[in-house]
Amino acid sequence: MNGPFVKGPIEQDNTDSIVLSVQGVTKRIKNRNIVDKLSFEIHKGEIVGLLGPNGAGKTTTIRMIVGLIGMTEGDVIVKGKSVRKDFAGAIAHVGGIIENPEFYPYMTGYDNLKQYQRMTEGITEERIRTVTKLVGLEDAMRKKVKAYSLGMRQRLGIAQALLHEPSILILDEPTNGLDPAGIREMRDYLKRIASEEGISVLVSSHLLSEMELMCSRVVVIQEGKLVTMRTLGASGISDASTGAEPERVHVTLRVDDAAAAKSRLARMEEIRILNVSEESNEITVSVRDAYIPRMVGALGSEGIGLYRIEEIKESLEDEFLKWTGGNRIA
Amino acid sequence: MLSFGKLVTNEWLKMYKKRSFFIPYAAIAVVIGLVAYMMKSFSLSDGMPSGLEFTAGMFSKNGMGQLLTFLAIIGTAGSVAKEHSLGTIKLLLIRAQSRGKILAAKYVSVLAYILSLSLFALAVSLLAGGLLFGFQAREAGWEDVTLTVLAQLAYSLIYVTVTFMIGVFTRSTGATIGVGMILVLLESLVVGLLSRYDIIKYVLFTNVDLSVYLEGGIPPVQGMTPAFSLIVLAVYMILFLGASFVTFKKRDVA
Ligand SMILES: Nc1ncnc2c1ncn2[C@@H]1O[C@H](COP(=O)(O)OP(=O)(O)O)[C@@H](O)[C@H]1O
Ligand SMILES: [Mg+2]
Repeated sequence: MNGPFVKGPIEQDNTDSIVLSVQGVTKRIKNRNIVDKLSFEIHKGEIVGLLGPNGAGKTTTIRMIVGLIGMTEGDVIVKGKSVRKDFAGAIAHVGGIIENPEFYPYMTGYDNLKQYQRMTEGITEERIRTVTKLVGLEDAMRKKVKAYSLGMRQRLGIAQALLHEPSILILDEPTNGLDPAGIREMRDYLKRIASEEGISVLVSSHLLSEMELMCSRVVVIQEGKLVTMRTLGASGISDASTGAEPERVHVTLRVDDAAAAKSRLARMEEIRILNVSEESNEITVSVRDAYIPRMVGALGSEGIGLYRIEEIKESLEDEFLKWTGGNRIA
Repeated sequence: MLSFGKLVTNEWLKMYKKRSFFIPYAAIAVVIGLVAYMMKSFSLSDGMPSGLEFTAGMFSKNGMGQLLTFLAIIGTAGSVAKEHSLGTIKLLLIRAQSRGKILAAKYVSVLAYILSLSLFALAVSLLAGGLLFGFQAREAGWEDVTLTVLAQLAYSLIYVTVTFMIGVFTRSTGATIGVGMILVLLESLVVGLLSRYDIIKYVLFTNVDLSVYLEGGIPPVQGMTPAFSLIVLAVYMILFLGASFVTFKKRDVA
């Protein structure tokens, strides 16, 4: 889930690769800012999660990006084109699924895709075949959409979004209502699309677990405001804003003599001791990955028995609950 | 231009692919056939109309004119409203096409629909009338038929345009059909109630039935001319379409 999707800070500084730029977007309804001066950027090939509890303003944000609702302030730039000033130019690079994709139920899957083909110049029959194959709907194309399961409709939703070869896919809670197998399938499609077609993905969700499994970065919002942006990497979370020491990990050691271990480890410059629990003989330290063997060696040569080493991952969930005040998440 | 034609194709297919698409045409054929059959069976032999008179009669407001308009209203009401109720509006509007063009394509396809209803009714009327009564022109000639059909088309066009606008406003197919039909039914009542006042001349309802200017008709207000009515109708059309487009373009689609 990480590998090719982890974007280092270097690539993020490259402004040429910006596909979507949300610039100080505000939506005010009846004097209330449902979305409040929200700004973030998405780069080529990134899968970015828009994360927030219910009512945070995710849907409103996404609807503004795709032009379904107007912005009170700010602008959205897609591949250099302004959604406000050049809607057709900007939206041509966007493929969207807004909540559950809805189709004309009395038409076949193929007829529905033909509708969208006719709305954009230059989509070939070949392209229709390619996308239906990509989402595995070849056999269902001649069936009426009303006979489709929700999972099939979601896949047809991806197909219509990909039809015009967009640079970015935007999906609002695409796994809502899907069963676990369907959720997994959707996740796999998105990852495959991002890597195979090289397109960026913005996906909203109120479920952290889901974001952790597919996103390289999350933009967390609450009450319409940006809370934080985080890069999700191999060793849990690193702070995208500082990029600080991503290779440092927290581990808890269970030893036979916590006090002796503490005094030995305290002499090693590289190690920061975070917590010592004498009763349970546990000691928690912050250490660079590469330094762990030497730490273990040092304890061994001192004659301190080592029973367990466990990595402490502060999950995104823990952080998310901190950011959003705990009880608000479903 | 090419892409606008494709948008109209899309809108036409959305109507055509419905299983209920042929029902209005079937209803028209049945009604015309029944009327023709009854006239043939029950009228005295010298009271027989010619095929052309029959056709002109069918297209008068008291003949099939209102039925055709009702069918057109039913067909039009869903054009915008159904996109909202199905939720398809979201995928429709996130294409590289302006909202104005999308709505224009919808309006054009609705016009094509009412034209197809009227032409179908014309063909069936001529066929049934011609077969049963023959084509020797007596009271009515081809010109009368043409003018009657045009007046009926204008009548449908006005109500369909109002209905189209209501569909944009309400986003509900049922409400739109209801309001559209009630307007048609209120027409005579309103004209009757307001006939004492001078503004009646400028009311839509007074001008919508152009067949009053055809032979034998009496305009609702003395001194009203076809040109006057056409201008009043044109002003209303511009207002209705303007309101529809402004609303549709500005709307937040939730
Ligand atoms: N048209 C509207 N009028 C008034 N309030 C709205 C409107 N649309 C959304 N809201 C409010 O804005 C907030 C954000 O909604 P939404 O964007 O749907 O959140 P999310 O998708 O993150 O759950 C909610 O409190 C919602 O009630
Ligand atoms: Mg939402």
